[in-house]
Amino acid sequence: MAPVISLTDLRIRYGSKDAVNGLSLQVEAGRCHALLGRNGAGKTSAMRALLGLLRPDQGAVRLFGLDPAKHEAEVKSRLAWVPDSPSFYPWMSVREALAYAASTRTGWRKDIEEHLCSRFTLDLDAPTSGLSKGEKTQLALTCAVSADPELLVLDEPTTGLDPLVRRQFLEAVIGTFQDRQPEKKTIFVSTHLISEFEGIIDDFTVLAGGRAVLSADADGARQRFCRLRGWFDETVPPQAAIPSVLSTKRDGRLLELVVDSGADETRAWLQGAGASRIETTALSLEEIFVCAA
Amino acid sequence: MRWIIDYQTGVPVYLQLMQQVKSAVATGAMRAGDQLPSVRAMAEELRVNRNTVARAWAELETEGVIANRQGLGCFVTEKVTPLRKAVRNERLALALDQVIVQAHHLQVSDDTLRALLDERITHFHHVRKAQGD
Repeated sequence: MAPVISLTDLRIRYGSKDAVNGLSLQVEAGRCHALLGRNGAGKTSAMRALLGLLRPDQGAVRLFGLDPAKHEAEVKSRLAWVPDSPSFYPWMSVREALAYAASTRTGWRKDIEEHLCSRFTLDLDAPTSGLSKGEKTQLALTCAVSADPELLVLDEPTTGLDPLVRRQFLEAVIGTFQDRQPEKKTIFVSTHLISEFEGIIDDFTVLAGGRAVLSADADGARQRFCRLRGWFDETVPPQAAIPSVLSTKRDGRLLELVVDSGADETRAWLQGAGASRIETTALSLEEIFVCAA
Repeated sequence: MRWIIDYQTGVPVYLQLMQQVKSAVATGAMRAGDQLPSVRAMAEELRVNRNTVARAWAELETEGVIANRQGLGCFVTEKVTPLRKAVRNERLALALDQVIVQAHHLQVSDDTLRALLDERITHFHHVRKAQGD
């Protein structure tokens, strides 16, 4: 089966500046793929090219194996997205905005719409112009998930929301979007709030300067990147030449090393150097991101 | 039952879930016939991917720890492992290797390790008994 998302050597230029510079990535069905990067790393440009809102200068975008420029209607009917600041026609009420969204889709799930509206306690008669940012995001998610798409694209969806709303948002994605046939429900998310999404991310790509600097599956990455802490009775030895060490920190009799792979050889080195106690912990995705970006 | 996911251990999330069910069964906190939370409920509560929970439950089923009754959910089974004795011993040997490696790094002697193993076995007996009362 063709991957749900396939980007090949994507390039996007604004004037003389490369926003995306040779990005390739693939997302298989049923996976949750996170696009991580600092501000200006090229996330939004890549996302916009993927959604057909922006034409790349070079490279190919394929969704469900199709060229979205040629099969726009089919591709769009199989995906839904939640932007970072959702907007609605201000003269519409919540009820009207939902009815309008439903009218543009086939396979609208009224049961999901009702379930999410009551879960989010959205007032159907309220005008959309009076909604808070959190409520707008909840309404946008309700529109996206009720369309029952195969691919859910989330662009910085929880930025600027309070912790309770962020939590509800994530629970709705897990509990409702993935509810039926989770093996076919694919999520593509760009976010800064990595720790919040940690549990649902299967794979991720770290973007820096428009390129993918790290692409890995989350479990594999957490096994690869470790922090080793060695305590010494006397003096802390000078730094060894271990190629896998990414950073070193000294604090009194403690030597802290962050490594990419090679935890075993580093542990052996610490032992040989006379460490009396050694502790190993995995890095969280957020810490891995900080190392890579 | 309290479920805890720790991303700092580097242990894949589905393995952590499997481990928690297995130790709950080993200590008697869960018994044959007890129902596991549904994949959806578990995923929402822990805010992890549903596929992760589904994988943990599926592997536990393969190992014979739980059984999936169509439409009803997953239940802890009576202690009958579908694995052959040789396979069981092999798996256990792998787990023990990890302990021996740890002991070496923590500079715990072989004798202390043996004594500790006995002590832990006794501890589990006590916990099981306490759960039974």
